[in-house]
Amino acid sequence: MNAEDCHGPSAVVRSPVGGEPLESAASDRGTTDRRVVLLGRPNSGKSSLYNALTGGSAHVGNYPGITVDVLEGEVELPTGGRVHLYDLPGLYSLASATDPDSDEGVAARFLGRSRGEGALPLVAQIIDGTQLALGLRLTTELLGAGYPLLVVVTQADRLASHGQVLDGAALEEALGAPVVVVSARSNTAKALVLEAIAAHPQTPPEARSIDAKALAKAVLREATDAKAAQRRARERTGKIDAVLLHPIVGPILFLTLMGGLFAAVFLVADPASTFLDFLKGKLAGVITRRFGEGLITSFINDGILGGAGTVLAFMPQIVLLTVAMELLEASGYLARGAFLVDRFLRLFGFSGRAFLPLLMGHACAVPAIGATRVVRDPKERLTSILVIPLMTCSARMPTYALVTSAFFAGRSVFFRAALFVGLYAAGILSGLVASLILRKTATRGKTLPLVLELPAYRLPQARVVLRKGWLSGKRFFRDVGTTILAVSALLWVGLSVPVQPASAGGTVAERSAAAAVGKALEPVTAIAGFDWRINVGLIGSFGARELMVGTLGIIHGIEGADQDDAPLAEKLRTATKNDGTPLYSRATGLALLAFFVLACQCMSTVAAIKRETKSWKWPLFVLAYTYVAAYVVAVVVYQGARLFGLG
Amino acid sequence: MSPVAPLAADARPQTLDLLPRGQQAQVVGVPADSAVAAWLAAVGIAQGEELLVLRRGLFGGPLHVRTGCGGEFAVARSLAAEITVVSVAA
Repeated sequence: MNAEDCHGPSAVVRSPVGGEPLESAASDRGTTDRRVVLLGRPNSGKSSLYNALTGGSAHVGNYPGITVDVLEGEVELPTGGRVHLYDLPGLYSLASATDPDSDEGVAARFLGRSRGEGALPLVAQIIDGTQLALGLRLTTELLGAGYPLLVVVTQADRLASHGQVLDGAALEEALGAPVVVVSARSNTAKALVLEAIAAHPQTPPEARSIDAKALAKAVLREATDAKAAQRRARERTGKIDAVLLHPIVGPILFLTLMGGLFAAVFLVADPASTFLDFLKGKLAGVITRRFGEGLITSFINDGILGGAGTVLAFMPQIVLLTVAMELLEASGYLARGAFLVDRFLRLFGFSGRAFLPLLMGHACAVPAIGATRVVRDPKERLTSILVIPLMTCSARMPTYALVTSAFFAGRSVFFRAALFVGLYAAGILSGLVASLILRKTATRGKTLPLVLELPAYRLPQARVVLRKGWLSGKRFFRDVGTTILAVSALLWVGLSVPVQPASAGGTVAERSAAAAVGKALEPVTAIAGFDWRINVGLIGSFGARELMVGTLGIIHGIEGADQDDAPLAEKLRTATKNDGTPLYSRATGLALLAFFVLACQCMSTVAAIKRETKSWKWPLFVLAYTYVAAYVVAVVVYQGARLFGLG
Repeated sequence: MSPVAPLAADARPQTLDLLPRGQQAQVVGVPADSAVAAWLAAVGIAQGEELLVLRRGLFGGPLHVRTGCGGEFAVARSLAAEITVVSVAA
């Protein structure tokens, strides 16, 4: 996002109502064109405040460095006029940003550029009141840099729970700049801050040097029972950490939590998917009765319901995973996770800093690749970008669930859940191996040592968590309703229009144009156990891997028109070749799983890598290495499984 | 600027990675690399600042450090080995 955007078309220039005294026009210069930059240390409550001011939905977490881009919003002032608001990524210091592409670099660069654009923006520095002295260090730098400054001290509520009160007037006096004390989550925060912005003289405070630590001490008043309250608050986080970061209990809990989370995604969402599958089957029955057998019915049942509808059934898993990740992050546990895995990740050329983006990759690689900006070291960051596509994103789930229930339905639900967790583990393992190789070749070099803030534990806000889940569901629904629906329809056409005469034998689908392409690939894919149907599925899912189940749904829908309301898994299990032998074996199922663990079948991810690395070299590299690895491993798995009698 | 704290009886400079758990200490030396030093100062680890090691990660994992300003940080052990501290009485 460019600073130039700030004069975009949405800017409303309010001229003074005709004949009004010029005094309002003079002050108008300030209000119409006013730019306000929210700046602060990572995890200072900046994004919460931004959300409160704009009603926006900036991602709020309890992890340093959650805002990785400049967010922009507009807000009306109580006195009339509007301000353009910019929420910058967290910044510890103006001077110490190492990599210009890291989150801190983005913030420092944005500020630097704004200097060259006429009137300086008003910098609203957000300070976490419970870490006043640290925040005031950045204030010292801002005073020296000569920006018009407003200091917003947040977390007043937590400060109070620590038994402390901030003397805002004394702080204002010492800084020579206006100070507001708020609790960013409360409803009054917006009014207080907007009032302060409206009243700001727009001039920089006179330069002065302050001693951050001494000043913090001077303006914080302890309530009578302060010491006890503060000790209690500190003890609480300390007590939780004593368990969660315990040398033995901590890692066990961590592994249990992660394993449990991925198993829960399967165990809880499995019945939900089955139910949606059931509904889809019923609907298909209604359509068949209404329109009879024919092209329209086939298009709706096989193309739309079998394609896009099959994908839609996986929405519960995706929402559940998003909510779980949000809870972990908002509570402050993710930073502990980073502490726990730092030593382990170092074996593979990462530090604990890469933990957040790598874990986020388990929901979706696209935001995870953006989140690599929290990694300060450029080479470590590039490595994270290159291996994130191997993490088990939620789009792989439909295929995993389909294959496990098609070929392992006879096994207990716990066996299938364990297989699911194993697939997540396989993704992580392949990512670590890839990193190990990359750090010895393409991204060789030293890693900057870890320095990571461990924030105090906070109770996640239900509203924020639910909103996040809702948004992920909505986004998924939109994708299914647009791209996936369109591609499903196209695939249906490709699979329903025969290019060979009926005399060639076989079903319509088998004589279609798509099948011809799939069959041309069979000589290469047969040693991995993939027939033309799977090949068509793999081509259909090149752009988005969710489409695999959709495509298989369409093919088996067209081929097995007589059992339209049976779940796809059952169709796969019972499908036979012309000679009556089963079409697929468990070896094929395992090989397909292996392929999906590794292949980067996602154009959005490719685009994200292009955006973050600013070159085509790395996205093409990712496509090449993941597809080659996927094919080779699928062949090994298929041939190995056959040796063990699973053929 | 630096708070005057009484030095412990056995105050000798040692590197942060060797500081015993729960022992309050004062920073007397930071890494020579100015970028790293500036980054550390920004999180409250600078000459004269006090800190406390709460725990150590297993197998050479990071240190969990509480700084004088009240912030808590994970600090890589290799970096801690470049920070010199002296023990002070709590």
